[in-house]
Amino acid sequence: MIFLVDFLSAVVNGISMGAIYGLIALGLTLIFGIMRIINFAHGALLMLSMMVGYWIWKFSGVNPYLMIIVVAPIMFCFGYFVQRVFIKPVLDAQKDVREPIAVLLLTAALAIVFENLALMVFGADYVMAKTTVTDATIALGGITVSAARFYALILALVIAYAFYLFLQHTELGRRLRACGQDRNTALLMGIDGPKTFAIAFGIGTALLTVAAIVLLPFYYVHPTVGNVFMTKAFIVVVLGGLGSVPGALLGGIIIGLIESIGAQYMTATLTTVVVYLVFLLILFVKPSGLFGSRLEW
Amino acid sequence: MLLFRGRYTKLVGLILVATMMMSFVVGCGGGSESGSDKVETIKIGNILPLSGSAAPLGKIGQQARDMAVEEINAAGGIKSMGGAKIEMIYADSKGDPATGVSEAERLITHEQVALITGCYQSGVAMPSTEVAERYGVPYFVPVPSEDQITERGFKYVFRLAEKTSWRNRDQVKFIKEMSEKFGTPVKTVALIYENTSWGQGAVRAWEKYIPEAGLEIVLKEPYPSNSSDLTPVVLKCKNLNPDIIMLVSYVSDAALLTNTFAEHQVKPIAFIGTSGGFADPQYFELTGDNCEYYFDISTWEPDVNRPFSAETNKKFTEKYGYAMNAEAVKAYVAMYIIADALERAGSTDPEALRKAFAETKITEGPTQMYASEIVFDETGQMVNAPLVICQMRKVDGKMQRVTVWPEEEARPGFEVVWPYPGVGQ
Repeated sequence: MIFLVDFLSAVVNGISMGAIYGLIALGLTLIFGIMRIINFAHGALLMLSMMVGYWIWKFSGVNPYLMIIVVAPIMFCFGYFVQRVFIKPVLDAQKDVREPIAVLLLTAALAIVFENLALMVFGADYVMAKTTVTDATIALGGITVSAARFYALILALVIAYAFYLFLQHTELGRRLRACGQDRNTALLMGIDGPKTFAIAFGIGTALLTVAAIVLLPFYYVHPTVGNVFMTKAFIVVVLGGLGSVPGALLGGIIIGLIESIGAQYMTATLTTVVVYLVFLLILFVKPSGLFGSRLEW
Repeated sequence: MLLFRGRYTKLVGLILVATMMMSFVVGCGGGSESGSDKVETIKIGNILPLSGSAAPLGKIGQQARDMAVEEINAAGGIKSMGGAKIEMIYADSKGDPATGVSEAERLITHEQVALITGCYQSGVAMPSTEVAERYGVPYFVPVPSEDQITERGFKYVFRLAEKTSWRNRDQVKFIKEMSEKFGTPVKTVALIYENTSWGQGAVRAWEKYIPEAGLEIVLKEPYPSNSSDLTPVVLKCKNLNPDIIMLVSYVSDAALLTNTFAEHQVKPIAFIGTSGGFADPQYFELTGDNCEYYFDISTWEPDVNRPFSAETNKKFTEKYGYAMNAEAVKAYVAMYIIADALERAGSTDPEALRKAFAETKITEGPTQMYASEIVFDETGQMVNAPLVICQMRKVDGKMQRVTVWPEEEARPGFEVVWPYPGVGQ
C-alpha cells in the first residue's frame, strides 16, 4: 500500500512538471507552426518573463498568480516588438526560402543578447520568489503535492484549453492557422501577414509568461535559467507534433512522467537517457510526432 | 703677535681641512650606509582567477592577502633580510588550467619571483604546481583541496588546505560522535550528489569511510546540477527512509533539494552538506527557514572560537565591506606562513626556502585563527588541517551558520540540535 502511495506521488509530480514543460512548449510550437521559425530565444524569453515577474513581485508583493495580468501584456508587447524590429527584416529578406535559416541564427543571437543583458542588469545571483504558496502543500488522500505545482497544473490545463478554443473559434485564431497552413495563399486571401506574425510572436511570448509565473514560487531565477527548460521544450514540440496544441501538452506530460517515475527505479541522471530513447522510438514509429500533421492547424 | 698669528693661521687651516675631510668621510659613510640599508622587496607571485565566473572568489582572496601583506610590511617586513618588504605580483588564471600554467611560467622566468602561491581552483593548482616543481621554485597552496596535489611526490609544493577526502572523513566521524552522544542509533546513509568530478570524488571517499564506521549506504543518487525538478530524487529518498542524508550540491540545486525535502517533510536524523552551495550566502535567500538544522562542514566560520578570529574578521569587514570566508582566511593565514618561512630562510634561495617551509612549526600569532599548530608532513601537506561543522540556526530571527563541532571550537551557548526535528519545529 505504501508502495502505491509513493508511486502515485511520483505520478502526480510528473504530470504537474510535465504540464509546465507543455506550457513552455506551447509558445514554441505556436511560433513554429505559424512562422516556421525555430525560436532559439525561447529560453531567454522565459528567463526575461521570470525576471520581470520576480521584480514586480518583489516591489509590489501581490499574489504571484495575479501578476499574469500585468506581466503577460508586457511580454506580449515585447514579443510583438522583437518580431517587428528584429525578425521581420530578416524574414522579408528570406521570403522565398521555405525554412529561413538566417532567422534561426538571429534568434540564437537574441538569446545571447538577452542573457547577457540580464546578467548586466540583474547580476548573476540566484533569486527565488518566496511567496505564500512556496512551501504550502496539498494533501490528496495520503499523497502530498506541492501547492505551487498543483496550481501550475491547473493553470496549464486551463490556458492550453483556452488557447485551443481561441485558435479554433475566433477570427484571429483562424487567421493565425491560415498563415500556418500556407503563408502565400493566406496572403493572397487578404490576410495581413507581417501583422499576424507579430501577433503570433506576441502570443507565444505571453503564453511563456504564464509558464514563467507558475515557476516563480518554486524555482530559482537566474540569467541562464532558460537553458534548463529549453532543450526539453524542443523535445516536447517535436514529440507532440510541430504546431500542435494538444501535442505540446501531452508531450510535456509524457516527459514529466518519464522523469518522475523513472527516477524511482534508476538514477536521476539515467532518466535523461530514457527520455531520449522514448523520443527516438516515437519518431521511428510516427516521424511527424504524436499529433503531427500538416493540416492540424 | 705676528708670529703667533702665522702659527695659528696654519693650525686653523689644518683644523679646517681636517674637519672638511672628516665631514666628507662621515658624509660618505652615511651615504653608503643608507645605500646598503635601501629596503629590498621580495616578490611573491600569486595566481588567482581575477576574471571569469570565479572572479568574485579570486577578488576576496586577493583582498585577504593584501591585508596580510600590509600588516607584515608595516610590522617591519622580513627582519632577517634587513626588513625587506613583501611585494605581491598577481597573475590572472581566468580559472583556466592552461592560462594558470603559462602565468606560472611567466612569474618564474620573467618576474623572477621568490615563490608562487595560489590559486583557488584545484584544476589550476594541479598543472601549475608542476611548472614550479620543474623550475625548482617553492609553491604554496592555501585553498585547493584536491587530494592529489600533495600526493605526487613533489618537493617544492606545500599545502595549507585540508584534503577533500578529510571533509568526508570528518563528516562520518561527526555522525558517529553525535549518535553516541544523543543515543540515536544510526544505521543507514543516503548519498545525494551532483554528477561532476566533485560529487563523484566525495562519493569515493564516503564509500571508504562510511562502511568503516559500520554504517550502510542505502542510496547513491547522482543528479545533473541543472535539473528542472529534483522531486523524483527526494521522493525516492523519502521511500528508503535513511537515517542520514549526505549532500554535495552547488547553490541552485542545494536550494531546490532543501525546499523539496521540506515540501515532502522528509525527516531523517540529520541532513549533512559538503560546503559548496550550502556555504554560499545566497543559499539562505533561496531556502528561508527550510534549511534550519541542516549541518555543513568547512574549515572556518565567523563565529569559530579561535584566537585572532573575531578581530581579523572585524578588520577585514571594516576594510572591504563584507565578512571573510574560509577561503579568505586560508589566503590571509598563508601570507603569515610564507613570511615566517622567509624569516627563517634569511634569503630567497629556493633551496633555503624549501627547507624553511618543510621545517615550519608555528604555534602562535595570527595563524591561530586557522589552526593552533602549522606543521607540514614530508609530502608538504599541512598536518591536521582543522575542520568544523556548523548547523544552520535561527539567531535573532535570522538564519546563521553556528559552529557546533568540535566542541572546543563551538560557539558558546549553543547545543547541537540532534536528531533533526523537522521543518519549522
